[in-house]
Amino acid sequence: MSTPPVAVVGVGQTHHKSRRLDVSFGGLVREAVFRALDDAQMTLADIDAVVLGKAPDLFEGVMKPELYLSDALGAVGKPMFRVHTAGSVGGTTAIVAASHVQAGKHRTVLAVAFEKQSEGNAQFALGSGKGASLGAGGAFAPFIRAYIQRSGAPEHIGWKVAVKDRLNALKNPYAHLKIEDISIEKVKASPMMWEPTRFLESCPSSDGACAVVITDEAGGNAAAAEGRPPAWILASSSRSEPSSFPGRDPVRPAAALQCAADVYSAAGITDPRRQIDTAELYVPFSWLEPIWLEAFGLAEEGEGWKMVDDGTTELGGSLPVNASGGVLSSNPIGASGLLRFAEAANQVRGAAGEHQVDGAKVAIGMAYGANNQYFSTWAVGSSLHPFD
Amino acid sequence: MTRFIESTITFPYKRSLGPVVGAFMTALTEKQILGIRCQDAVLVPPMEWDPSTGAELPHEFVEVGPAGTVESWTWVAVQSEQHPLDHPFAFALIRLDGATTPLLHAVDAGNPEAMSEGMRVAPRWRGTRAGRIDDIICFVPGESVETEGEDTGGAAEPVTRMDYLASITYRNPVPEAADRATEASREHRLLGLRCPDCGRVYAGGRGLCPVDAIELGPECEVDLPHKGTITNFAIVTPVQYPGQTETEPFVRAFVLLDDTDVIIPYSAVIELPADEVRVGQRVDAVWASPAEETEEGGGMGGSWGSLLGWIPNGEPDLDDPDLVNRIF
Repeated sequence: MSTPPVAVVGVGQTHHKSRRLDVSFGGLVREAVFRALDDAQMTLADIDAVVLGKAPDLFEGVMKPELYLSDALGAVGKPMFRVHTAGSVGGTTAIVAASHVQAGKHRTVLAVAFEKQSEGNAQFALGSGKGASLGAGGAFAPFIRAYIQRSGAPEHIGWKVAVKDRLNALKNPYAHLKIEDISIEKVKASPMMWEPTRFLESCPSSDGACAVVITDEAGGNAAAAEGRPPAWILASSSRSEPSSFPGRDPVRPAAALQCAADVYSAAGITDPRRQIDTAELYVPFSWLEPIWLEAFGLAEEGEGWKMVDDGTTELGGSLPVNASGGVLSSNPIGASGLLRFAEAANQVRGAAGEHQVDGAKVAIGMAYGANNQYFSTWAVGSSLHPFD
Repeated sequence: MTRFIESTITFPYKRSLGPVVGAFMTALTEKQILGIRCQDAVLVPPMEWDPSTGAELPHEFVEVGPAGTVESWTWVAVQSEQHPLDHPFAFALIRLDGATTPLLHAVDAGNPEAMSEGMRVAPRWRGTRAGRIDDIICFVPGESVETEGEDTGGAAEPVTRMDYLASITYRNPVPEAADRATEASREHRLLGLRCPDCGRVYAGGRGLCPVDAIELGPECEVDLPHKGTITNFAIVTPVQYPGQTETEPFVRAFVLLDDTDVIIPYSAVIELPADEVRVGQRVDAVWASPAEETEEGGGMGGSWGSLLGWIPNGEPDLDDPDLVNRIF
């Protein structure tokens, strides 16, 4: 069954920082929303429905913030939805918004995601409010150890990803971490946090928000006619799997493989490594880059680290990954997935500014969450038929 | 009979108030109540945006009250810890003089007969104010503003953040499978449940197979060995947050039980320092002695019950590098 074409016509995000003490929740999300609306040359009145994503409520201690934020988001009298799929939530939020437009239910839908980590503590929230929280770093370290063993990758791969993404962040005005003197030596010398993951191989805690305006084919064509290129959504997929059972492989999770297969088959992508020009992958710890390159078919199994090693995934390489600086440079958790989707859209719109990948026609945005359990991905193109 | 476990989650959150609510809270320390102009209306408390359209509002603050009129009310006969007063009171929607919208607050009226729609009320201020809505202890019948205790004046600096100590107590039902696993642990038995469909075995009182989506009852129980091999591990550098119990790097290990396909994930280890843990290490289960038994269970927590964790048993390591891939 083919779905009607839908397009991203507006993208907005906040400047991501450790602490945005100057704004309320509402003020934070509105910064991203109005940037996205300005980008789409729309107002709140043009929005037919709002979809909000964020991490668990324990992060800020506000129950059901989607209700509290409905007036801040101009959603009074409109449908308002909350999406909840752990770290992948930002990506799933975009997919839910796109699905409403594809289904013909609403013409223009606003996808919004945010986190204000400064109001609480991520380790506390991830540990369900108990002591001895593993945190995300502790949860993923065993997966990384397994990847390194089975791929035979040398230890400097993690350091290289950490440096690459921070260099990219220097070209992104919205990025949180701006480490001008980032280097392999600096990453190596940073404290060991969750062996083998060092401090500088880890994402920051950020306050921030992201918003995306998704509209129908007519809206996408209208934007294009006015010289504002849309990003056409070629395909999207969300997949999940149970947290643990004997035989489960968190390094190549079945849900990740299925999510990639869904998107590639619906988008007509038969050779992802060559047909995709750039990828925004959810990489909160440096080793997740080669892990996801492989699980998402951008590298053969066991070969992902070589694309890091030979510079393929650098800005200027043949498949730049996280040209925006990625989650390693900005991590407002609930928004981090939507930022991947939004940055992918900006790449094919030619709107990525200094971190633009030259000539990007097809990009993927990917987010994952929990124990490598939830996956959301979309492929976007500068046209509806980028491979013709 | 279903058993329940009570647990409390508490965290001192810090709210950023933003420019409008921040101004409202700062004014409260001065015993002033601010509204904001929104078209022809005055919204109290003030909002950053027009609630009907989402349009940004210019910061035109208007002082309202201090007295106002009760528009609606409900009597709170039984108090909880989180209520603003320790005796029966009314929650009321109070339209302060000069305001268009009502403010929700408490009215200390003594009894419900003293409450009525249209009654006049005035604030009773706290002597020492922090820039919180409860700087107004409550409203009282009449027109006279009161201050309780010595008035220590307004805030020296604008109020931009608010402490919010969140606390919630849950009563969670304990599944039967978890209770059986805990009971077995008291006899130092490690109970597993074998799925009749796929044959996978689950430990830790997990009474279902997530692959086949079926419940696993007592007929599925099997006894599991008390010996295993560490396949993988996490060494966690503890971040200090309220409620953190760890100060030094700690280990959580994945233990593959001998002659089974069962991993005990995120296991506590005993007499195994972080710099000595390794893949292939042989370990034995350690059980709590009767003196060490607690309601909360051992180092593993939850339905692991009396299982404290795993200790190196001195056997030679297993030399199988692929063990590291057994995480779940």
